Amino acid sequence: NKCTKQQRRIYCNKCDSRHHNSDRCPLIWRSYIVTNKHNEKVLPMVLNIYCYNCAKKGHYGDDCDLKRNSKVPNTDGSAFSGDNLPGVLR
Amino acid sequence: NNKVFWLRDHDHSELRSIPDLLNTEIEDFVSFISPTKEEIKLRNNCFETLSSIITNFWPDTKVHVFGSYATDLYLPGSDIDMVVVSKFGNKENRSKLYALSSALRKTGLFSNLEVIAKAKVPIIKLIHIHSKIHIDISFERTNGIEAAKLIRSWLVETDGLRELVLIIKVFLASRRLNNVHLGGLGGFSIICLVYNFLNLHPKLSSSTILAKENLGILLIEFFELYGRNFNYENIAICVSNKRGCCYLPKQNYSELKTRTTFGLSIQDPLDPKNNISRGTFNIIDIKKAFSGAFQLLTTKCYELSPTTYKERFGKTLLGDVIKYKGENR
Repeated sequence: NKCTKQQRRIYCNKCDSRHHNSDRCPLIWRSYIVTNKHNEKVLPMVLNIYCYNCAKKGHYGDDCDLKRNSKVPNTDGSAFSGDNLPGVLR
Repeated sequence: NNKVFWLRDHDHSELRSIPDLLNTEIEDFVSFISPTKEEIKLRNNCFETLSSIITNFWPDTKVHVFGSYATDLYLPGSDIDMVVVSKFGNKENRSKLYALSSALRKTGLFSNLEVIAKAKVPIIKLIHIHSKIHIDISFERTNGIEAAKLIRSWLVETDGLRELVLIIKVFLASRRLNNVHLGGLGGFSIICLVYNFLNLHPKLSSSTILAKENLGILLIEFFELYGRNFNYENIAICVSNKRGCCYLPKQNYSELKTRTTFGLSIQDPLDPKNNISRGTFNIIDIKKAFSGAFQLLTTKCYELSPTTYKERFGKTLLGDVIKYKGENR
């Protein structure tokens, strides 16, 4: 009664995710060219952080606690996530 | 693939990363779609001819432009929007409209003259025969001029706004989703969506990146936000000068509520009680188009990523998404 087909494992070794394989990793296109003039001392400034899911200030839509309104699943994360802020501001 | 005109003499397949490839293709496309010096001259001449005819006919008036011509966000074949403003504010009168239109007809410089006097905003439509440019003339309404002024200030302060707006305009135009009369997204709404997106983007608002160097990712992320994630049912977009860019819960702003629960609300920066995307009833198809563009673009990136430089030769990333239907330029 052993299943002959091995279950295909989804795993991305680029970003350690189990939602996609490495050949479909969002990091392939979502890699920003960071400005070299960036000065960490200027921070923290007042940031425009608003949630695309509940409209509240202070967090991004990816990190919202309320039920997600959009029917399209967001398994790999989007641009609007706290992870996308520079380290000192998280 | 002969419709991908903008790749003609530029091949960037030797570039290393996928984002680099996208960025340079966007730059090429924007310079391809931007008006040439001759086209700018032709437009300016067309405007000056018509405006001097009008001011000679009515010496108490001034002629202004608004819309895409005033903000330099026009595509080839876009029309020119003009507004006639007079000292006494009496030029929207029906008889005045007909008086002007017969004077314009007599010059023989224009064809397809049409007076639409019964509409909420009465206009005269005509085509300048020499340049084939379509022109709409409205009367005594200054809000378009104000809006154009505001957009020009946004364009100066917001890196990347012009490029993304032009691309999204072409994208929606090729899918016939840009006509407000058919429930599509108008130019002003597109500008507000992009402006809001750029101002709320984590990497941009923390000045970690420059928009000019990351146009490709930003384009994909624009499609990602408005095609996959944005809560159209409960959230309105605000681009007010006082508050800055933010989101508003629709339930607290009854004037921004839409006819159906799933609808786009954009608060008019010049009149908080007005929803500028009121007419965009086909937001479902627009959202689908954005989400499709996200799929197409990212899939193309995944396909091209493992290929060799030789295999990339002549390949386009944008070509499937932006179908430019005009003539070669």
